[in-house]
Amino acid sequence: MTVLDLDNFETDFWKDVDKRKTWDEIIPGELRDTRPVTLSKEVIARYARGVGEDNPIYFDEDYAKTTPYGGIIAPPSIHILLMFACTTTEDWMRSPGTINAGQNWSYHIPIRPGDTITMRGTALDRFIRKDRLFAVHENTFTNQHGQLVCTGRGQTIRPA
Amino acid sequence: MTAKEQFEKTSEGEVITGREFTVTRDTIQAFADASLDYNPLHFDDNYMANKFGKTQFDGVIMHGMQNFALISRTLTDWLIPRGGFHRRLETRWLKPVQLGHTITPTATIYQKRKTEKGYWLLFDIEVTNQDGALVATGNAMAEFLDVIPGTAA
Repeated sequence: MTVLDLDNFETDFWKDVDKRKTWDEIIPGELRDTRPVTLSKEVIARYARGVGEDNPIYFDEDYAKTTPYGGIIAPPSIHILLMFACTTTEDWMRSPGTINAGQNWSYHIPIRPGDTITMRGTALDRFIRKDRLFAVHENTFTNQHGQLVCTGRGQTIRPA
Repeated sequence: MTAKEQFEKTSEGEVITGREFTVTRDTIQAFADASLDYNPLHFDDNYMANKFGKTQFDGVIMHGMQNFALISRTLTDWLIPRGGFHRRLETRWLKPVQLGHTITPTATIYQKRKTEKGYWLLFDIEVTNQDGALVATGNAMAEFLDVIPGTAA
């Protein structure tokens, strides 16, 4: 499995913009193209620091071992990173102008260093409200043992 | 301490106030580098001069998920030292957060619930800006457990 390489991520979200599905092309139920990623201790620490986390449970194995968590875990919100890490430059969640309207996430098992995470992503629904184009998506993340680690839904307003 | 003992030490109405967060171009860049979300909504002043449907933003906006991560941090900073497990977070974004804005999340325990299998805390979530306006609302749930899921018993 490939450890997530944060330094060679395509940061230009205009790239492949024409290959991405527009709102009318998003098919509820269709699977998004995803690939598994392995999270190292360094990747977890970098995510945690970047979003302003400073609890030593995300960085310090000696400390983390003394907690009921038994070792370093990733911040629960790491699915924010996984959504982009597991998808391709052609994924419609990268479309410029995608506006987040709300999220609903459930956490089942902490993610730990060395875990390989697989994403299953679908659109569940799309609708128009007050002239705005909405899509509802569902993402589930599973670890290398086949256990669901976290699952969530979000709503985005799509660029017209 | 057992889950039951931890649960008993909490009270309905208890308010957990998160740290203030002020948005700058540096915080947006740091969040993008952590989350890999490089949408031009957060970077490109020229692009943000466009209208988005009927919506016109006043410059670049903070990532909605930065807000989500700050709420999450507020909960876990309080829960983890108590042995609590963050189970669920549902949010709605009400207003864009812009450069120079300062936001503060709060989580209020609105209900403690003992169920057949667990000890739950239910939270009301609010994020307000420097003017006291609500920028996000939500709700969350945490659980006290004797064994954290995924750890060897």
